[in-house]
Amino acid sequence: MEKQFESATAAELSREDFTSVMTSLEPDQLISTKEHHHCPRRRLTRTEMILFWGLRIYLVFMVGVVVYQIWTSVR
Amino acid sequence: MKETKTVSELREGAAPRSNILNDQRTSGAAVVITHEDIDRAHDRERVSETRARRGFRPRLRLFWLLIGPGILVMLGENDGPSMLSYAATGARFGIGFFVPFIVLTFLMACVVQEMTVRLGAATHRGHAELIFDRFGPFWGWFSMIDLMVGNFLTLVTEFIAIRAGLGFFGVRPAVSVLGALFVLSIALMTHRYWTWERIILGAALFNLLFVPVALLTHPHWGTVGHALVTWGPLPGGITQDTVLILLADIGATVTPWMLFFQQSAIADKGLTTHDIRFGRVDTVLGAALATVAALATMLATAPLFMHHMSAANFEAAEFAQALQPLIGHWGAALFALGIFEAGMVAAVTISTSSAYAFGEVARRPHSLNLPFKQGRAFYLVLLVEAAAAAGLVLIPGIPLVYIVLLVNVIAVLAMPPALLFLYMLVNDREIMGPLISPRWANVLALGVVTVLIGAGLLFGVSVIAPNALAIIGGR
Repeated sequence: MEKQFESATAAELSREDFTSVMTSLEPDQLISTKEHHHCPRRRLTRTEMILFWGLRIYLVFMVGVVVYQIWTSVR
Repeated sequence: MKETKTVSELREGAAPRSNILNDQRTSGAAVVITHEDIDRAHDRERVSETRARRGFRPRLRLFWLLIGPGILVMLGENDGPSMLSYAATGARFGIGFFVPFIVLTFLMACVVQEMTVRLGAATHRGHAELIFDRFGPFWGWFSMIDLMVGNFLTLVTEFIAIRAGLGFFGVRPAVSVLGALFVLSIALMTHRYWTWERIILGAALFNLLFVPVALLTHPHWGTVGHALVTWGPLPGGITQDTVLILLADIGATVTPWMLFFQQSAIADKGLTTHDIRFGRVDTVLGAALATVAALATMLATAPLFMHHMSAANFEAAEFAQALQPLIGHWGAALFALGIFEAGMVAAVTISTSSAYAFGEVARRPHSLNLPFKQGRAFYLVLLVEAAAAAGLVLIPGIPLVYIVLLVNVIAVLAMPPALLFLYMLVNDREIMGPLISPRWANVLALGVVTVLIGAGLLFGVSVIAPNALAIIGGR
């Protein structure tokens, strides 16, 4: 996988910085850890799919209503 | 020389949490420490040191260190179109039904934003990243399109507010808009989340400028108290206009960008599960301040209703001009300054939420702790989006009033799908571990979704079949 982050240069990374990172951050707060580990994809249940599509259709329909309102207002 | 450590070595001293992200880190892969990690670690070090001390002063300092995202998101949402909605509410309906209604909308915002606090602290990841990872790119892109379209339209309205607010003082539109862009860029130059957050927090508190304006109108507190208890009166009853204002006021408090911004800001600030309590306090405090500012705006323009002044097509600065005979030049100037501030702070927070989301989805570095060279894509998205919105405002003949009205309505309509993602993520035991929503939080969240869908459908009915409003006692 292409590396997207840039590490601190040696000049910037003092021993104090290093200690601070090790003691103060939780392991999965490190950028490199986040880069390497992503949440696995979950399987959507049938009900969840219906809800997702239902709300998507609701949104598209309602945007149509807004466009209609603008059209009637302009006229 | 680059210093590397294995994940397991870095685990020493860190409190373990039980979720899928935390369990994955034990793979033993070498890690690279970045500039962003170092800045965040220094911020966290101060938190740990302060937490270790006992007494009132350390507690107060801890509070100071941990607050930020909640107040910023709530006061950021008291933006240009929101303040215009509250001003229009006061001028059209006076003191009555909308006083408790606005309080209710902020309670709804608290319920929603509390979920992002837990999600951000438990996963250390932004909202867009979690949606893409957990639900896949198909649903992820839907969510991103909703966010980006909504954010861009909202940004346009922020620059309209900036232009209108400074216009009261005779500042030319090009100067005010370009000046705002310059201020936005200056805030980014700190390259430190902490410094950026403090600067914007300081600016956001000017949202309370509407409080002295409201006091100058000498509101009748008895009427305000009566309205809070009785939810009335509602002059004119339920009409198409009432429904539009109702939707605009909901959209003024609960919008998709808030979910993305607060969760990403919490991850960027480095908050952990130990900080959730303070995150909640931060959110509630932000909501309380925003409620005060929103109600103050409404009370400030209520005299226009009492004097039967038509404010149907007012833009932001026109409210200030109309109020001038009632509250004097200084009062009107404060109102205009408040409108400018609302637009300015929101322009910063909303463009930042877009940049966070872009970085999370494109897997590019995304943090306000990044030097420009390392976070080029993040900063460019932020600045280019803001510049495009600012440029649009300067085009002569653009129907700005329509855009302002549209923005809050679209925000309400886009909220139920966004809330479904949030609801499912915050109830996902694999990523939340023991921090999944308790039953009462789920009941409240579903209540918010029901109110939002109900308001959206009511708006649909009022547009397509206005006569049908009579069925529910309207006209």
